[in-house]
Amino acid sequence: MESTMHYALIFFVFILLKLCVTQEDIFTEELLIKPLNTDTVYSHFHFTIKWETPDSDFSSHSKVFPRILGELIERFNVLELHISLTNGLWRYEKWGYPVVNAGPGGEIWSWFKENTISIDKNWKELTSVLSGLLCASFNFIDETNTISPEFSFRPQGVFDGSQSVNSSYLKYASLPREIVCTENLTPWKKLLPCNAKTGLGSLLNSGYIHNTKYHSLGLHLRRICSDKLCTKTYLELQQTVSLVYDSKTLGARNWSLMKFFGQGVLNSCELANSSTIYIDITSNSSNPFRLTYKPDGFITSIRGGSVREFVKYDVVKNGGAFSVGVDYLTKPEIAITSPSLIYAHQYLSGYGKENGGLVVKITNNHWSHLDVVLLQNIPWYLQLYLHTLKITVSGKELKPIKLKFIPGKLRTRYHQLEILVRIPAKSIARVSVNFDYTFLKWQEYPPDANHGFYIPSAIISCHLPLARDFTGLPQDGTMIRDSFNASRSGYLVQIRTETLIVTLPTPDFSMPYNVICLACTVVALAFGPLHNITTKRFILKVKDNQNIIDKVKRILKLSFKKSGDK
Amino acid sequence: MNTVLNILTRAFFILILSTFTKCQIETDWAKKGHTNNWAVLVDTSRFWFNYRHVANVLSIYRSVKRLGIPDSQIILMIADDMPCNPRNPRPATVFNNANQHINVYGDDVEVDYRGYEVTVENFVRLLTGRLPPGTPRSKQLLTDEGSNILIYLTGHGGDGFLKFQDSEEITSQEMADALEQMWQKQRYNEIFFMLDTCQAASMYERFYSPNILAVGSSLVGEDSLSHHVDPAVGVYIIDRYTYYALAFLENVDADSKKTMAEFLKVCPKRDCISTVGVRKDLFRRNPKDVPITDFFGSVRPVELIEDVPIEPITLSMNVSLKQIPKKYRYIPPIVNFDQFIK
Repeated sequence: MESTMHYALIFFVFILLKLCVTQEDIFTEELLIKPLNTDTVYSHFHFTIKWETPDSDFSSHSKVFPRILGELIERFNVLELHISLTNGLWRYEKWGYPVVNAGPGGEIWSWFKENTISIDKNWKELTSVLSGLLCASFNFIDETNTISPEFSFRPQGVFDGSQSVNSSYLKYASLPREIVCTENLTPWKKLLPCNAKTGLGSLLNSGYIHNTKYHSLGLHLRRICSDKLCTKTYLELQQTVSLVYDSKTLGARNWSLMKFFGQGVLNSCELANSSTIYIDITSNSSNPFRLTYKPDGFITSIRGGSVREFVKYDVVKNGGAFSVGVDYLTKPEIAITSPSLIYAHQYLSGYGKENGGLVVKITNNHWSHLDVVLLQNIPWYLQLYLHTLKITVSGKELKPIKLKFIPGKLRTRYHQLEILVRIPAKSIARVSVNFDYTFLKWQEYPPDANHGFYIPSAIISCHLPLARDFTGLPQDGTMIRDSFNASRSGYLVQIRTETLIVTLPTPDFSMPYNVICLACTVVALAFGPLHNITTKRFILKVKDNQNIIDKVKRILKLSFKKSGDK
Repeated sequence: MNTVLNILTRAFFILILSTFTKCQIETDWAKKGHTNNWAVLVDTSRFWFNYRHVANVLSIYRSVKRLGIPDSQIILMIADDMPCNPRNPRPATVFNNANQHINVYGDDVEVDYRGYEVTVENFVRLLTGRLPPGTPRSKQLLTDEGSNILIYLTGHGGDGFLKFQDSEEITSQEMADALEQMWQKQRYNEIFFMLDTCQAASMYERFYSPNILAVGSSLVGEDSLSHHVDPAVGVYIIDRYTYYALAFLENVDADSKKTMAEFLKVCPKRDCISTVGVRKDLFRRNPKDVPITDFFGSVRPVELIEDVPIEPITLSMNVSLKQIPKKYRYIPPIVNFDQFIK
């Protein structure tokens, strides 16, 4: 009897172990809603899948991890992949920092593994596959608009301890003009385990997403530690959607899931290990509001010197349909919010169709100096003059700590400028550089050449010492939950500036036709007289003064003569 | 004895008949002449004032998708972004009607070629299958000799050409040659070629490959006209021919018995103002006998296999989970500045 018990126990333990082992895919879904200021509300969807697979050859079965992405990173030997498709500009100055930074348009960067044979080939094929997967124009990425920045990007996931970071395995490209619409959201949603049918994903209805001030789709693949000692790894996929709703367009200040997405949460995704909604209620103290639905818990997060209050809703626990929201109790008070610690803007200078300039203004609001890395990725149709590069802080010139410039080449390579600079406390650094506009060949102009040509946004990376307005996840965190009380030595932000449009000297495309017509006319006019002059001789002809009767007589005489000859 | 024989023969007949019908059900799809359906839907015009062309192409997209052609077998080319255009007062929608009955853009749309990708070169490469290596499947026309293809083009045309993106054009000869190349490469069984442009008939006049049924919204010398303006959008929102074609297709479902002959009569001159042109001489079948679902619907070959032992999939977890313990680490998120400061 005892032995049977023993066996049963062993069997039970075995089953338990087996369960632990087969629990290889962990899927969590989260929604963070944060009122940014009196007018705007930020909502961020965060879907995370963790999959325990070996480093290579993970053609094994996965429960919820999208198979296509697994195949893709294996085939192209990808270590890390980050994709974002964004419409609108994140206003760092007023809105603080988003959970995931993304520049306007399409952005993609990828780290390849050290044993990759041909990175360029893999990169080209990877982008074209992704263009098919996400219905985006990533196939326009080639070696001409790809860069490998040395200082701006580091692998966000884990790295083999014995190796050092080598930026030649990094490829970065951006498509500032990329439009983002339902056709991108549809395939993105299909990667979710519950396919946007149930759970938080069901809130993502295209009509309600594209009427926002800012919307950004993200797809981030990396490897993270799966144990304390970091000897094994998970493959992690973060799928994110960031939206900024404007209460002016919604019509009222009070908001709810119903108003944002046209529906509340109807049911929960069965495949999700957890499904949670967090609302940042810190602004309740300045603009009091009432929650329309009773929360399941309160969270106080002390992180990097800032205290934030959250409420939590557990979708699974709440079971059926529900909608969360807030009703404001008082009239809006325009709260004076202090601007973020660091923010940046980019604009054009110069005049005319020949000389232009590019200026990036970085504002440091911190009481101490900040170290930043500025990355500029400038198209080859602008010819940059490095000697005009100037960094000034209130009129005084500032020397960069390090400067790396890879000059662009006409039609083959973008300019890549990386500047490491230490911005003094409470100051504005102005980085300016001059360039010339280039004439393109007439077939290089796009069909709507008059619209202008885009300059991608500059990227300013900074490791902030304080977490004020910071919502990002810590490097070792995978969920929004991990960002609560996550004080670290620094908080990385990668600010994207505005993209710019330049108007290159655009020819009148009917010009060739006009030129042909004009040239032909000139040639004809010149050729006629010249041909006459050179081939004909002028002979003096005696003018006869015969009258008509004489002429008739002569003709008759001639004809008689001819008939007589016969 | 006689009765017994009679019963036996009857039983035999019934047996034969039943097996025969069984066979017939199983191989029904194989006898139809085509084994799969594809659609190539192209809008060739850029710029906001050509909103109607996007609405046109999305109307057809909606119909073929509704009638059963999966997204993987629809190549949708749209030259400009109308739904998420800043000028669109209703983001992520395209309506074919000022009353906004049908959002033709829908909540589930996959555009395969968009923006600058819509060029004559890409279109001809797509048709003829001469695509650069590494082209994703969604951008390929993977048809075979059993494929029925619906090709729909809309944009601005003239006598013998169709403009792409307002900067280049495909001529009727190039179009005819591309189709001939498709035929020679056994890339189609039958093609239904639909055009909604000005002087549409001029585009199919030069066709010389077999099994093509062509219809154009106007004859040579005629303009195709648009249907109506939506004051909220501020531009014409659909062309007449496609508007009536969609109205017809909305009443068609996957089991419909409607024929191509009925579809070819869509939009008579009093509705269209232009004359709808039809070219039947290359087509071997009589359009009266061709169900409309031969081009707008999809064959779904289903083979019923019986008595197949199903074994549960056993996951070899121990094999797949074998991770060689290595020491991993997180990289500091930003480069160390002190190393550069002397």
